Amino acid sequence: MLSIRDLHAKIADREVLRGINLELPAGEVHAIMGPNGSGKSSLSHVLAGKPGYTVTAGGVSYQERNLLELAPEERSRAGLFLGFQYPVEIPGVNNAYLLRAALNAARRQRGEQEVDAFDFLALVKERMALMKMDEAFLSRGVNEGFSGGEKKRNEILQMLVLQPTLAILDETDSGLDIDALKVVANGINTLRAPGRSILLVTHYQRLLDHVTPDRVHVLARGRIVKSGGPELARELEQRGYDWLLDEAA
Amino acid sequence: MTTAPPPVPGSMSNAAYEQRLRDAVMDAAPLLNAKLLPVSVRSSALNKALAAGLPQLRDDLWRYADIKFLASAALAPIAGAAVEPATLATLPPRLAGYMRLVFVDGRLQQGLSDPCPALDVAAAPLVPERTRHERFGWLNDAFAMDVARIAVQAELRLDVVFLATAGSQRQAVYPRLELQLAPQADLVLVERHLGSTGAGGLINSAAQVYAGAGSRVRHLRWQGLDEDAQHLDTTQIALDRDARYQLTLLQLGARATRTSLRASLFGAGSTFTLQGVAVAGGKHTLDHSLLVDHMAPHTTSDQVFRAIAHDRAHIACRSRVEVGGKARGARSDQSLKGLLANAGAEIDLRPQLEIFTDEVRASHGATTGALDENMRFYLLSRGLDADTARGLLEWAFLEDAVAHIELPELRRAVEQTLATALGNPVARQVLQ
Repeated sequence: MLSIRDLHAKIADREVLRGINLELPAGEVHAIMGPNGSGKSSLSHVLAGKPGYTVTAGGVSYQERNLLELAPEERSRAGLFLGFQYPVEIPGVNNAYLLRAALNAARRQRGEQEVDAFDFLALVKERMALMKMDEAFLSRGVNEGFSGGEKKRNEILQMLVLQPTLAILDETDSGLDIDALKVVANGINTLRAPGRSILLVTHYQRLLDHVTPDRVHVLARGRIVKSGGPELARELEQRGYDWLLDEAA
Repeated sequence: MTTAPPPVPGSMSNAAYEQRLRDAVMDAAPLLNAKLLPVSVRSSALNKALAAGLPQLRDDLWRYADIKFLASAALAPIAGAAVEPATLATLPPRLAGYMRLVFVDGRLQQGLSDPCPALDVAAAPLVPERTRHERFGWLNDAFAMDVARIAVQAELRLDVVFLATAGSQRQAVYPRLELQLAPQADLVLVERHLGSTGAGGLINSAAQVYAGAGSRVRHLRWQGLDEDAQHLDTTQIALDRDARYQLTLLQLGARATRTSLRASLFGAGSTFTLQGVAVAGGKHTLDHSLLVDHMAPHTTSDQVFRAIAHDRAHIACRSRVEVGGKARGARSDQSLKGLLANAGAEIDLRPQLEIFTDEVRASHGATTGALDENMRFYLLSRGLDADTARGLLEWAFLEDAVAHIELPELRRAVEQTLATALGNPVARQVLQ
């Protein structure tokens, strides 16, 4: 699904990715962990095509296409979804409109018919129930007045509606209470499928208690310094990151 | 010996302006209706306009106004001709439930207007006298051919259309509105300025509204003139005790326009709210000078102004709030924001606040910038293309002002107009 080879990237004059190598097969969930400033969010942003980042070496292949050649909207329509760590508020653009516009953009890309208003509403309401979200949110501006937890739920709601083939969730668990974490984790788990891959960027073990990854990668100073199975996350929970940084040094 | 300060660059000298005005009076004199505005009033206004002359370079209120066209634009109205059928076709559809008045080139068209018993009231609105800041309003006093002069006693929904046309002769037209609201009266007013007198003409409109004690006005003023129109506007609003006035200002057309607006809150407890939206492209200039004068205790004002400039357009807004010595307990908020669609566009926003008393709560702020890149990327990351993302964000930017319009039908009309003005299908879809 996703193949990252020796990826180097910078923002302004600061190198943030220093040779990332990662293979994410279809159907798998991989966790990206690491201390603050290790490059986790930078990796998410580079994969999604956020302006401001410059790839200086390496490549990324997504479904056998050169991902780096695609504009952000093209990556999205090709099935890539980024769950933002800090979702912006966009007053005046309502959630329902954005969701429907995004869904229809993806469907047009796939050669499918656009969804009509009634079917769309039925689909969204079903997904909102799963995410335990009030339907009133639909008519509000995108993330407008949402709490941190509500914004994260909204990211997962969008993911559930858009059904991406590659979901990159950037610290989706940060700021969530126990109950919200379970709802979000449940949403992520409903998306697991043989033809879909998920990259979970997280600091902490607790999300991974609810969404069991197939592989865990630890990022430090812009590189993957260790990879392992789910047990690696538990080890990090007990030992922290310092031992890995010492090893990498 | 003192020398006269130079006028605004590129315009005429004061002497030339004075001569042109005198010539215009000679040309227009046979056409002016002394019953509507007595000769003494017209004469006094002309003398004041002559004394004031043209705005000077150092006059901060006119710094960004494009009024160079005054050097060559017609200043005199001309004799009216029959309205062409093609012109009638450009009139907007009637608003259901509204009394309609149609003025073409500043003249009331009886055949296109509803009978209005409240027209032609003798008493003048009780608004403060004009000052030099409203100097072009004096020209309207001197040259207006007709006036929508209405006394509102109870409830009234009024749709006034001022349509300008460009014929074979250059002309200046002087749309004029005078409204007086009795205590507790309720007025919904849609005032539209459409068409153009052409590149050599002038549209110089004036409005005076007095809102009696406890009255309520919801006023949508819609400037949708053609691309080559040259427009000056002077509006004065006076609020008596506990009067409430909501003004929505849409500035969507004209090559060059200058709006001078003054709201005088002389009655205790009166409230004035303004939602202003200005959208310009090409090389158009939309200039605004707004003054809200809190003159009495416990008065409230709230202004939201949003501007989008495309291409090489220039939008300016100076919004001044004065809280006088007797206006204890006044509240005032100003929010001016500009969005630059591209390099080369220009927006100048200047909120000003002057307070001369205690126990006042006031805030003001102004920002100008480009589209928020984080918002834009968020939309792109959801698969929306760049044009759609831009259109949505521009729409959202203006919606901030529009959302405060009280009447749903007015809000809807404004939203639909803006959707067209923004020129993208996105906003229209958002409205569905």
